[in-house]
Amino acid sequence: MAGNHPTRPVPYLSRRRFLGRGAAGAAAVVLGPSLLAACGGDDDSASSGGGGGENSGGKNLRISNWPFYIADGFVASFQKASGLKVSYKEDFNDNEEWFAKVKDSLKAGQDIGTDLVVPSEFMAARLIRLGWLDKLDDSKLPNKANLRSDLLDSTADAKREHSLPYMSGMVGLAYNRKATGRDITSIDDLWDPKFKGRVTLFSDQQDGLGMIMQSLGDDPANPTEEAVQKAADKVAEEKDKGQIRRFTGNDYADDLASGNTAIAQAYSGDVVQLAADNPDLNFIVPESGGTTFVDVMVIPTTTRNKAGAEEWMNYVYDRANYAKLIVAVQYVPVLTDMTDELTKLDPDVAKNPLVNPPAATLDKLAIWPSLSDEDEAKYTTIYADVTGE
Amino acid sequence: MAGTARSGRRSRAFTPYLLVLPAVAYLAVFFVVPMWSLLRTSLSENTGSVFLPTLEFNWNFTNYTDAFSDFHDQIVRSFVYGGLATLICLVLAYPLAYVIAFKSGRYKNFLLGLVIVPFFVTFLVRTLAWKTILADDGWLVDVLGKVGMLPSEGRLLSTSWAVVGGLVYNFLPFMVLPLYVSLEKLDPRLIEAARDLYSGSWRAFRKVILPLSMPGVLAGSLLVFIPAAGDFINAQYLGGTQNTMIGNVIEKQFLVVKDYPAAAALSFVLMALILAAVLAYTWALGTEDLV
Repeated sequence: MAGNHPTRPVPYLSRRRFLGRGAAGAAAVVLGPSLLAACGGDDDSASSGGGGGENSGGKNLRISNWPFYIADGFVASFQKASGLKVSYKEDFNDNEEWFAKVKDSLKAGQDIGTDLVVPSEFMAARLIRLGWLDKLDDSKLPNKANLRSDLLDSTADAKREHSLPYMSGMVGLAYNRKATGRDITSIDDLWDPKFKGRVTLFSDQQDGLGMIMQSLGDDPANPTEEAVQKAADKVAEEKDKGQIRRFTGNDYADDLASGNTAIAQAYSGDVVQLAADNPDLNFIVPESGGTTFVDVMVIPTTTRNKAGAEEWMNYVYDRANYAKLIVAVQYVPVLTDMTDELTKLDPDVAKNPLVNPPAATLDKLAIWPSLSDEDEAKYTTIYADVTGE
Repeated sequence: MAGTARSGRRSRAFTPYLLVLPAVAYLAVFFVVPMWSLLRTSLSENTGSVFLPTLEFNWNFTNYTDAFSDFHDQIVRSFVYGGLATLICLVLAYPLAYVIAFKSGRYKNFLLGLVIVPFFVTFLVRTLAWKTILADDGWLVDVLGKVGMLPSEGRLLSTSWAVVGGLVYNFLPFMVLPLYVSLEKLDPRLIEAARDLYSGSWRAFRKVILPLSMPGVLAGSLLVFIPAAGDFINAQYLGGTQNTMIGNVIEKQFLVVKDYPAAAALSFVLMALILAAVLAYTWALGTEDLV
């Protein structure tokens, strides 16, 4: 929400559900993390009642994921295949807010109400450094072999010992052709005075500043404080001119679809979904480049069912199962050789360049490295001073 | 006999204190303790690891000076928006409360009900609905554009007008109700007396009705101004990048930057400034009664 620091987009839904989600998110802000944590606590005790509460298994598995990041019927078919009873919650809305909510419990080794979570990679890296994630047992994960090799080696988690990617996606620009009157190709278009007050940027530091750094000749893959500051200064300059309408989280899609904004920093999967209803919407990776994000599945040390969580991961990593997820959420697959399975389900999705980006697009994408705590906090503060919320 | 009578009287003298005990205990636990801890936080410094900082209390007053120097724009803006919203609410609510109190006859309760109706819809949904009404392609912008009344930005949403408008809309009932109560109490015979003494209606209003409704004006203004100056929902959803208020800054400092001392200091600055504004206003109106 706004103001907040949401990273994960959600596939566009009917307006009613979208509004409801915005409302829930904002209510979360109003109520504050402590109160939410208290609510979460209630949930735990309710669901753990039948869970046996032992680390070694039991028949219950609790999963927390981003809203609308799953396919219809997926949980049910997993339950059937595994014999586990899954309590699947879409209560992960924002990396930083989630961290603020659970950090004291994780530090004290207390249950946080979930056995598997799907944070973004930078957050997973932070959790690994803090020693709050269980090491994955590869013998339980034969399908890990399907993972793309470029994702297997990561600065956030070498050899993927503590985390497995769930979805990947591109951060680029989305525009409303009807509002712009022309095709948009670069960051210069974003600063075109013609679109004054009709442009939105992400409030998230990495997603917001990455492509701006690239347009200034810097590389988000090797960030320096000067480069981050330079990009933030550029954004501040445009903000003072009145060019930037809002700093957004997930809610950019709403303004773009309703025609309030012409160009928005956007996540690829959202735009695939939005464009189905509104063919004027397009997604591009700017000429100077865009960034990639990865969300990963992790098991906190406080899990009550590690074996069940690993069984879930392995099930997700089966290509036929994973294809169902991709068709539903339209992000970029993290598994290799998905074309056949996707074609079987929906040939259009298999051919969509936003789900299956061509090499030329992939070359333009940079990925933020794992940062030290100090750098991460420093960059966040630099950009927060500009977004000013 | 005398002894029991006295002890009975004594226990009766105790009763009022026993009755307020739950409220006092409640306030002690949920108001005094958090305030104390917030005050300590505002004078502390983050030390240790970045994401699991330990707060070290060391009379760190720089949190306060930083709060002023870094965010004076948002502080000033919050007071301007809050003040404007209060003024507009007063101008809109006074005639409304007057009509309901004196002229509505048997429709009085119905009209009062209408004033409260918006409360049946949550604050957030009401504000989000405004986004739809003020949308760039909406009918309102269209109509205002045709009559040449659009603000210089050429839109309504994401401007200061939208934020102030949202504040007025959301807090208007808090102005209407206290005004209604103080006008309702007013003895109509006093107005008749003023007329008998050859006051015109304007003079009767100025000399009789307005002074006697001052407690309502004060109570309504406080009920609107205090939450409006600290509000962040309206600025978040209806405002743009140049309309952020101090509430938005505090939220971001707490949840994103995680600089708890800075956020706590900002909260106290906001509280102190509001208190000062309220005292000045009370003094200027020359009344200490609320309703």
